[in-house]
Amino acid sequence: MIESEEGVPNVLNLSEIAEREREEDERVVEIVREFGAENLIYCMQCGSCAAVCPLARVGFEWYNKKLIKALLLGMKEELLDDPTPWACVACNRCTEVCPRQVSPFEVMFAVRRMMVEEFAIPTLAIEGLRALYEYGHAVYMTGREARKKVGLPEKPPSTDSDEQALKDLKTILKNTKLAKLGLIPMND
Amino acid sequence: MMEAEVVEKDAEKKLKFGLFLGCNIPFNRPDVEQAMRKIFPVLGVELDELKGQSCCPTWGTMPSIDITAWCAVAARNLCLGEEKGIDLMTACNSCYGSLNEARHKMLNNPKLMSDVNELLAKIGKRYEGKAKCRHVAWVLYKDVGLEKIKESIKYTLDDITIAVQPGCHFLWPSEVYPDKEEDPFNPVVLRELCEALGAEAPYYTRLIDCCGMGALRSTDPEKSFTLVKEKLENIKEEIDADLIVTTCSSCLIQLDDAQERLRKEGKLNFSIPVLHYVQLLALCMGFEPEQVAGICVTPRDEIINRIIKG
Amino acid sequence: MSNDEKPRIGVYICHCGENIAGAVDVKAVAEFAKTLPDVVVVRDYLFMCSDPGQELIKQDIRDGLVNRVVVAACTPRTHEPIFRKACEDAGLNKYYFEMANIRDQCSWAHWHEKEKATEKAKAIVAAAVAKARLLEPLEDRYIELTKEVMVIGGGIAGIFAALDLANAGFKVHLVEKSPSIGGNMAKLDKTFPTNDCSACILTPLMVEVANHPNINLLTYSEVESVEGSVGNFKVKVRKKQTYVDWDKCTGCGACLDVCPPKARVPDEFNEGMSLRGAIYIPFPQAVPKKAVVDMDACIKCGGRDFSGKEPRLSKSGKPILAPCEKVCPTGAADRTPYRDPNGELVELNVGAIIVATGYKVMDKHHFKEFAPEHPNVITAMQMERLISATGPSEGKLIKPSEIPKLLEAKKKGEKVEVEKPHTITFISCVGSRDNRYHTYCSRVCCMYMLKQAMILKEKYPDLDIYIFFIDVRTPGKDFDEYYMRCRQLGIKIIKGRAGGIQPLPDDRLLVKGYDAEIGKPVEVVTDIAVLATAIEPNPTLKELARTLGINVGAEGFLKERHTKLYPVDTMTEGIFIAGCAQGPKDIPDSVAQAKAAAASAMSLLDPGKMTVEPLISEVNKEKCTGCGICVPLCPYGAISLVECEDGKKKSEINPALCKGCGVCTAACPSKAITLHGFTYDQVLAQIKTIARWPEIPAE
Repeated sequence: MIESEEGVPNVLNLSEIAEREREEDERVVEIVREFGAENLIYCMQCGSCAAVCPLARVGFEWYNKKLIKALLLGMKEELLDDPTPWACVACNRCTEVCPRQVSPFEVMFAVRRMMVEEFAIPTLAIEGLRALYEYGHAVYMTGREARKKVGLPEKPPSTDSDEQALKDLKTILKNTKLAKLGLIPMND
Repeated sequence: MMEAEVVEKDAEKKLKFGLFLGCNIPFNRPDVEQAMRKIFPVLGVELDELKGQSCCPTWGTMPSIDITAWCAVAARNLCLGEEKGIDLMTACNSCYGSLNEARHKMLNNPKLMSDVNELLAKIGKRYEGKAKCRHVAWVLYKDVGLEKIKESIKYTLDDITIAVQPGCHFLWPSEVYPDKEEDPFNPVVLRELCEALGAEAPYYTRLIDCCGMGALRSTDPEKSFTLVKEKLENIKEEIDADLIVTTCSSCLIQLDDAQERLRKEGKLNFSIPVLHYVQLLALCMGFEPEQVAGICVTPRDEIINRIIKG
Repeated sequence: MSNDEKPRIGVYICHCGENIAGAVDVKAVAEFAKTLPDVVVVRDYLFMCSDPGQELIKQDIRDGLVNRVVVAACTPRTHEPIFRKACEDAGLNKYYFEMANIRDQCSWAHWHEKEKATEKAKAIVAAAVAKARLLEPLEDRYIELTKEVMVIGGGIAGIFAALDLANAGFKVHLVEKSPSIGGNMAKLDKTFPTNDCSACILTPLMVEVANHPNINLLTYSEVESVEGSVGNFKVKVRKKQTYVDWDKCTGCGACLDVCPPKARVPDEFNEGMSLRGAIYIPFPQAVPKKAVVDMDACIKCGGRDFSGKEPRLSKSGKPILAPCEKVCPTGAADRTPYRDPNGELVELNVGAIIVATGYKVMDKHHFKEFAPEHPNVITAMQMERLISATGPSEGKLIKPSEIPKLLEAKKKGEKVEVEKPHTITFISCVGSRDNRYHTYCSRVCCMYMLKQAMILKEKYPDLDIYIFFIDVRTPGKDFDEYYMRCRQLGIKIIKGRAGGIQPLPDDRLLVKGYDAEIGKPVEVVTDIAVLATAIEPNPTLKELARTLGINVGAEGFLKERHTKLYPVDTMTEGIFIAGCAQGPKDIPDSVAQAKAAAASAMSLLDPGKMTVEPLISEVNKEKCTGCGICVPLCPYGAISLVECEDGKKKSEINPALCKGCGVCTAACPSKAITLHGFTYDQVLAQIKTIARWPEIPAE
């Protein structure tokens, strides 16, 4: 989140942002488009997405409309520490109402993908990835009491109880970007 | 005559779906899983175990890392149905959303589809884009039908007012889903399903608003609870519901669990029990409450007693 | 229809839906009207102006029931012609019709006082009946129309109006105050929304105007006076002194370069970004391509001042000539013959006038907050010149502060390194939507900013371009698509008008803005700041309007007769308006309006004569004492004193000029002037009825 540091004015210096883009020789807009938000450039900042966004409603700073504007201006570093994209519930109500088919949800997730490359990823997300790799389930609970209580076998008929299936899943994951990023141990 | 015969044959055609569980349902709310396993045989729907299934993958995992990886994990799950010539069926909106968004992306991007199949080839699989994931509510509404549901139940919900919570991924983005509400901003499927059980399921202002679950809750619980509180208060004020019924496992957890937390913090002074629709249907069919609706934070005993004892 | 019949009046009361009936008890008014003297028929109807409503009136006339008609309804301004026509169609002299306005002046005004409104409606109807009893039959008259039109202003609107009329066979006099036609459009580089080159589409039209046999092109000329009225305007046009013999001038341009530095002044065509000599041709594609001498700038080299003196001789006996006349290959610039500084007065007779004097771009110096003195703060019109191939840098994008260096090097034939901009920032609504300057939206700024940004970005993709705006307004065909293309090109569009520009120690500028979308102040270091300054009426427009007798609105633009229904007409019949003189607009709208004005002038003049209401004043020579009071009072110059047979002078009114305003009638001490349709007796009968209300005077 951008918060003015002590003694530093709360002003965005657009020229510095543009200069940085030039130095790094890549436009933020293009990076985000690569990551799946192809229609970002069609945004006209009408605000319909923000009108229905749960994040905007509860006071996250870089909700869909504002995030898109920041990207269009070439902002990136300023956003890396911000939790907003990781709070997106992917509800897609924004996508449904967007008059220019930008799909603000895709922008949120493209920013997540951009942040991941910079290792700006929340611990909880790492844990989810680890669980997905280890068990095939992002939400994984070892306590089997509840299943037994309702009369179900201890393990569901999933990767949790199917070694070959888990191996298959791991094979896939090992050949994706997840492995290249090295975010979680994938040695087995 | 000819036409009538065809119709009859179709009606007799056995419905079969791969039961896609996801994560929250088997590990967090297995009573929902049990409810599904109970109700569908009664309704003449065969369930396939979909052995070897995994996480859909959910939003915070592969979708946040890479689109090809997301689609590959989703496609492996969809293959499990496609191999048997059946569609998947889920009671979790997140799975419904993630699997269908992934499928939609693959169908509209041949390059992506071939990249995914390259990955699948490593485990001897291939996804053609045929199998899709259906939502349990749509299967009940469209494939099974309201009449059959009415015939199947032992108890009706007279004088019970239900606040419905279809959940976001039941509705949006409508473009990607195999079944669509005629007006996604005024959804009627879940309301009609509840009404089929004899309950009132009126409209309320915040019906389609997000419950605040998922990444929002894990990122900032306080902010998440402000959303769910707003929703609960609206339900209380406008329709004074006896029960909240959802078709999403995430909404179920949030509305049930956050409600109790809000009460403990003194931010909420009422209590409304919450059920997944498959649980409610299982109860109406007369299944053992302990098994099909035994896990909750906000107490359900009173409403279950009302249902069972009339 | 004879007028000695006793009046049999029919009164027809309109409900106007709820407009009248909502406040006035129509039935009560009808009952009352039956009691009025000479009234024989009273009817009411939902919409009297509808076909069945009119038919009620016609039938009563045809049946011989009535021979005078009073309609109590809305306003004569819109509906009198309809009802007069109904009377005429049924065989009654149409001036046996009288209208009582019980809507605009009664029901609408007293909507919440129904009883009083009903009472007032009765009084209005009674007064109309009192007048109707005294109506006299009148006959329409006709005036001959001159089938020639004067178009004032040679910009794109004037050009189109002139061409359409000329092509239809009308003689057109196109009056332009500067030495060339073309107007502001000639200065533009490209035009939205298709980005076609302005000169490429304009120049052929300018040439067509110059070569058209039906167009008399009067450039470097201004309208001095206008007399007369629709169909017959007498216009005096001042052709300014060019100090160059245009019959000889070939437009070769040899004189332009030799004019000495001391005589050089900012070039209007380049918006002051370069200098021109005192002798100049406005721009390369000028039509006519002729030189003029700007006497305010001329330093009269060698004492050569057009006073008729032969040149002095040098020691070697050669005549001392000014450089311009020395180089002129045809002798057009000869400074020996006397040339009248007042130029020449031309008189024109025209049937209609189209005013298309265009606009002026607001000056940047008003805006102290935007560092207007800084050479790299420019107006959008200056940006047009900067990117135009005929501009000061010949279309090369450089910092405006580098122009003098570039021009100096060019003069010396040297090559020079000049700085190019990396960042350009546009600021919208400068002087528009601003209570300190102009409250209106200038309508074209959003689009021309986008256009310039798009042209620049497409040509120089590495440029960073920012546009600060309040609202982007793109309500035209293909306009929003144009805007979206700009966004997709990566032009950074920021909601929030910039609040200030601070010059930096080098020649760059710090633009201080606010991004309302992000909710933070923002700053941009920019090489050029472009101010989208407002479109203003030409400074001389008010004076011209006074000369023509037409109105200007609060913002200084010409006022149309009716915003929606008569958008190119003025309150003075026969005078039409088009283009930015009427209000800010873009080229497509200016052309559309010009064509509309031309068509209006055509439909007015084509029949060759026009019907004029006989509601004009007439002098009773018996009563007139020849005092002459009325003569100077007449605003139309219609009255003169003429000698009668008995040798006495008496007033006479020219019926072609009289507009029936009634000033003379009211002023005449001998009551010798009658205004037909509003005679003393008629008007007094109305007044008496109202004054003695509720008593009804018998006679």
